[in-house]
Amino acid sequence: MIAMISTAAMAVRRKPVLSLWMMLLLAMVTVGAVSIVFVLVEGLKVTNLTNALPWGLWITVDLSAIGLGAGAFTLSAAVYIFGLKKYEAIARAAVFIGLLGYSSAMLALFVDIGRPDRFYHPVLYWNPHSVLWEITMCVILYTTVLLLEFIPIVLESRFFARYGWAHTVAHLLHRVMPVVALAGLGLSLLHQSSLGATYGVLTARPVWYSPSAPVLFILSAAAAGPALTMLVTLIAGEVLKKRMVPTDVLHGVARFVGFASLAYLYLKLWSWAATNYYSHVPAQATGIELLKEHTPYDVTFWWGEVLMGALLPAIIFLWPRLRRNRYLLMLGALMVVAGLVINRWNMTLSGFTVPLDWSPGVLDVFGMNRYSPTLVEWGVAVGIVGYTWLAFTLGVRYLSLYPQAVRLVRTRPAPAPVPASEPFADAAPAGD
Amino acid sequence: MGENNATNGGSEKTLTRREFVTIMVGAGATVAVAAVLADPLNSVAQSLLGTDTEVNAEEAPASTGPRWGMVIDLRKCIGCEYCVFACQATNDVTDEMRWNVHIMDETPTGNIFHLTRPCLHCNHAPCVSVCPASATYQREDGLVVMDYDKCIGCRYCQVACPYGARSFNWEERGDTPNPRVPEWGTPEVERRPRGVVEKCSFCIHRLDAGLARGQTPGVDPEATPACVNICPVTARYFGNLNDPESNVSKLLASTPTFRLREDLGTDPNVYYIPPEGLTI
Repeated sequence: MIAMISTAAMAVRRKPVLSLWMMLLLAMVTVGAVSIVFVLVEGLKVTNLTNALPWGLWITVDLSAIGLGAGAFTLSAAVYIFGLKKYEAIARAAVFIGLLGYSSAMLALFVDIGRPDRFYHPVLYWNPHSVLWEITMCVILYTTVLLLEFIPIVLESRFFARYGWAHTVAHLLHRVMPVVALAGLGLSLLHQSSLGATYGVLTARPVWYSPSAPVLFILSAAAAGPALTMLVTLIAGEVLKKRMVPTDVLHGVARFVGFASLAYLYLKLWSWAATNYYSHVPAQATGIELLKEHTPYDVTFWWGEVLMGALLPAIIFLWPRLRRNRYLLMLGALMVVAGLVINRWNMTLSGFTVPLDWSPGVLDVFGMNRYSPTLVEWGVAVGIVGYTWLAFTLGVRYLSLYPQAVRLVRTRPAPAPVPASEPFADAAPAGD
Repeated sequence: MGENNATNGGSEKTLTRREFVTIMVGAGATVAVAAVLADPLNSVAQSLLGTDTEVNAEEAPASTGPRWGMVIDLRKCIGCEYCVFACQATNDVTDEMRWNVHIMDETPTGNIFHLTRPCLHCNHAPCVSVCPASATYQREDGLVVMDYDKCIGCRYCQVACPYGARSFNWEERGDTPNPRVPEWGTPEVERRPRGVVEKCSFCIHRLDAGLARGQTPGVDPEATPACVNICPVTARYFGNLNDPESNVSKLLASTPTFRLREDLGTDPNVYYIPPEGLTI
């Protein structure tokens, strides 16, 4: 024990930032592990979920993780299907982040279902009528796709360099990658939108019932997935003093996120206008009124989802002068990511907060449903976030996630500014 | 089709015999291939869409078999909650997880009325279509029931049910006493384990056992849901909706009824006779 502490103390002295970061992550993972064990032993009574509001924080985590993992399918499709080879510089990181997203989503679901010992039942007892069944199958298959895309990254790490077969397997996998990427694209298009349909098809919940929900889910995922990949790439570069990917690649991703955000915004505003502004369907309108009156839904929708989550980042990413500032780029990506998480929380909670209405009389028989997660629920969520950050930190350290990373060398006694060494200075031609 | 081709060809004088034969052979081959492909495709499509499930497996077509349903007379209901308690005792249900609930509401004319709600056993049940593990299904006789051994506890059925007719086992119940036993009856079914959803089954165990004994559900008390038997004002009726001579069919034929949230298209098998002042 003392030896461990002294080793840790030495590590802190040598690399203080990294050590403290790792300690934080280990603490988060520990909290998560303890919470998960607690839930599995005690059952879901330790949550604040009820029969009237049976889904909460963990579903938000699960929906967010899958949405934020969408960088993998968009960037893989760019490289392997659309032949935009330059994005190979960032596609590996995107695949790794996707794998972390999907594995954490599956972990969240595993804790959330009442019978985790039966998690495989959808594979045995098919119900193709159920969007949740389709999602389960797609997520399982797509995680397999991500693993296939991830294996070459592992095999090409320094550890496997000494084995000849590793190179052969990696090479073989590379050759089938276009097929794998195509499968990944198809599966992602299916389940990313079906996650929106999970709410969108429920006729009994007027706030949810909407044909635009599936499309809104996939558009927001297409924006936020690459945005998260860009964000962590920039942060890693900042910490390691490296340029992780060529600047024009980064700006290409930024532009894509900008356009995806605009598309999302466009449908989102029309969806709002059609159901809230230009019409007054009783159940829907009263539902939104209730949410406005009793919850922060309206404020978080306009300020969090629309302005911060889509409009401002679209401006940053599509305005070349703003895009060239890497701190603005980070801020924009962070806003897109935060916007998606807020949206998934709002989606989940809004439909439940407004009560069902099946009584034929005129009274409001059923009150608003309320929910705030328990400490244990937060503990599981913190653990899952900690796991993804820890895995990514280790991934950057031990895997070649960024094959084109360049160490930025400061020409020390520089008499004149050297533009080439400036991190992320836009050397690419204008209008990239 | 072939005739058309021939006449067209003849009138326009552009179709040689060779072309005609080629077209006919091609068309014939296409039809043959289509016919060969159609059968397996059809069965695949059917199994995917679930159109040929238990319905075809049973010997009797849906129209002649029984379809169990309930009629609840809201003019009579006094809100005593006897049906709620009898259900809790018979099916061993806790207060928080009641399968059969009672609410009070008001008609537009200001009349207070009582309404009790079992599971409505919808013909287009949202809970059935959303279940990712086929744990909830509808039998050919209309009963929407659960296989508690398949349920994974995802609770999507609770999210989808428009009537809040489903309860989740948030904790293991163990041997905790049921407050309604023995006053309102004794449990006739097993307690459900922690982590699965449960729901009203129209006392399926009574129905099936009664039918096996040759009894008539809705007439013979041993073959009838507990909630129907206990009602002190006879507000609940149970029977075969497909039998025009059953008490429920006669009631439906003679009295105006409505179903809860018909606008949702769930097509429930539970009908209500409106209280005075309520026009549906």
